[in-house]
Amino acid sequence: MTAGSRQLVMDRIRAGLSGISDERLAGYAAVPRTYRLRGALNAETTLALMVERLREYDAEVVECAESALVSTIAAEIAKSGRRVLVAPAGLPEAWLVDGVEWRVDRGLQHEEIEQAEGVVTASFCGVAESGTIVLHHSQSEGRRVLTLLPDWHLCVLRASDVVETLPEYFALCAHPPQLATYISGPSATADIEMTRIKGVHGPRFLTVVLIRDETP
Amino acid sequence: MSATGPRSVSADHPELDPRLAPPFPAAALPVLRNAQLRKNVAHATDVIQGKRNRLVAEKADWTQLRDAASALRAHTLEHLGEYLAQFEERCTAAGGVVHWAADGEEARAIILAILREEKAAEVIKIKTMTSAEIQLNPYLREHGIAAHETDLAEIILQLGAGEPSHVVVPALHVNRAQVREIFARTMGLPKLSDDPQELTAAARSYLRKMFMTVPTAISGANYLIAETGGVAIVESEGNGRMCLTLPRTMITLAGIEKVIPRFRDLEVMLQVLARSATGERMNPYTSLWTGVTPGDGPQRFHVVLLDNGRSAMLRREVERQTLKCIRCGACMNTCPVYRQTGGHAYGSVYPGPIGAILTPQLQKLEHAQTLPYASSLCGACYDVCPVKINIPEVLIDLRAQVTDRERANERRFFDPIYVGMRVANWVFASAARFKLAQRAARIGLWAFTRKDGWIHTLPGTGGRWTMTRDLRGLPQQTFREWWQKERGR
Repeated sequence: MTAGSRQLVMDRIRAGLSGISDERLAGYAAVPRTYRLRGALNAETTLALMVERLREYDAEVVECAESALVSTIAAEIAKSGRRVLVAPAGLPEAWLVDGVEWRVDRGLQHEEIEQAEGVVTASFCGVAESGTIVLHHSQSEGRRVLTLLPDWHLCVLRASDVVETLPEYFALCAHPPQLATYISGPSATADIEMTRIKGVHGPRFLTVVLIRDETP
Repeated sequence: MSATGPRSVSADHPELDPRLAPPFPAAALPVLRNAQLRKNVAHATDVIQGKRNRLVAEKADWTQLRDAASALRAHTLEHLGEYLAQFEERCTAAGGVVHWAADGEEARAIILAILREEKAAEVIKIKTMTSAEIQLNPYLREHGIAAHETDLAEIILQLGAGEPSHVVVPALHVNRAQVREIFARTMGLPKLSDDPQELTAAARSYLRKMFMTVPTAISGANYLIAETGGVAIVESEGNGRMCLTLPRTMITLAGIEKVIPRFRDLEVMLQVLARSATGERMNPYTSLWTGVTPGDGPQRFHVVLLDNGRSAMLRREVERQTLKCIRCGACMNTCPVYRQTGGHAYGSVYPGPIGAILTPQLQKLEHAQTLPYASSLCGACYDVCPVKINIPEVLIDLRAQVTDRERANERRFFDPIYVGMRVANWVFASAARFKLAQRAARIGLWAFTRKDGWIHTLPGTGGRWTMTRDLRGLPQQTFREWWQKERGR
């Protein structure tokens, strides 16, 4: 049935488009890309914008130097009062701080992930203009389900990985990712009388640890 | 399937099957008489429009993004066959199974066959207008499969037995008291308050169990990426991520027009979509996946590519624009007609200006012929459209097609409108007849023209005009007469 329908649909498309002469057909390269491909802000202002946007979404943002990363992660976990946390299999060993019951993802069941109180991951990059955190679900960012079921997500973001505009993120992708999730604030809905309610299905709490380069 | 016969139309039970829906003017009446409904619609559209306008104003390169988005969509449609073939090849190589459905009936059968193979008794769904277009839920129910909607608005509608009235905020016509009543009754929570926070929390726990246990999901698609064979879905709530991640099997139903050439094109589409749809810089969650990834997400993945009348819209350039649509809903939020009537009057899952051009074409103009007239042609929809669909232009073209069809119908030969048009054609064809007609009209209308020079009421067919508008009386002298007198000597 499907093979016949493929032919049928393709024939209909061909017939529909047969009226367009070849000269009329503009190539892909002719698509005008006069929009902003690059940001206009310097690195410091870009970071400030990223932080501002994240805070607008009620994400908690903590900045620290590279050397203080592990202690900052430990402090944030302690502050949250959460004890059972999930970690992707490729998360740096040092990030698995003491005092936590870590569930490292070597094929965790959905229930085990759901019952955990939070998850700690790395990230691919950040987009300041929209306050977006990009995950490509590498070994240190974890499977998609890890950052979905727990109620708290602690995400580590490197200052040098923050770009200002969305096109700059796409320019970073020499090879398109097989999987990606773009997070711009906690899950939300405005379906009831346009009242914005946060925390529908995804994690209700997001903490971003922003690694600043050592002050020169 | 849906041959349930004509149903009575009311604000509570609108008919969204274009084959059965009453004409727009009749369908609009119950809404126009329902003050609560109009208040809800006005509030919701005001809020989204306000946010959208603020965010578009702050975007310095909005015009350029719109140009790019429009050009990308147009280019894709002009090469639709090639991009679909590329998507199919790459998606298949990545472990997906691609199916082609010439119409809604075939798409439903394909989906049912997959679900039967999975031995599925129930299925979870991400909001998809396309599945509503092919009326998938009632079909699955008839075949013993329960389809559970998981988007908050869709749950409100499904549990309350309502119908969507907007493409982005489908339950915008329902207020919090009504939501409370629906949830309290269907979820067994008599003590629930009408606080949106509490209502949302009720939906969260109601759905969590479903997400964790139902192994099969159905989604739509925002974009099919030809270059990679990947699919992208934008959402706000996270129910989409649940459906895309937890089940064993995933079925994506997508119109053939949803393809975009390359991954990179998302840098344009995502920037215009969120701002236009919800007035956000970016929607909270965007998910992108490619075929099957071992160990991550559904291990069986099907894509159903749906034609259902779309390919027929490619033929003419004016109509082809319709397929550029990215379903942001900005046109309905701004439309002075939609803002008064809400979505149900359009008798289709696609309401508003885009629905007024899309629905009649999906129906091959055999139904929904009144929709192209459900517009004042003010052009507000064109102004806000992120992919620059000239909706008024398409509306006028469709009106011409509707008229041509009617005129060709022998039974309409003695219809006063067409008799009048034939007479006018004959009169306007000769200067002498035109002159005579002007004189006759002046004499004929004299009795109805008031002192202020206007005609306020006319008898008979003309009364249908003066019922809602005044008509300027004819002047004492025509231009030709004046010319003759002044210069003709």
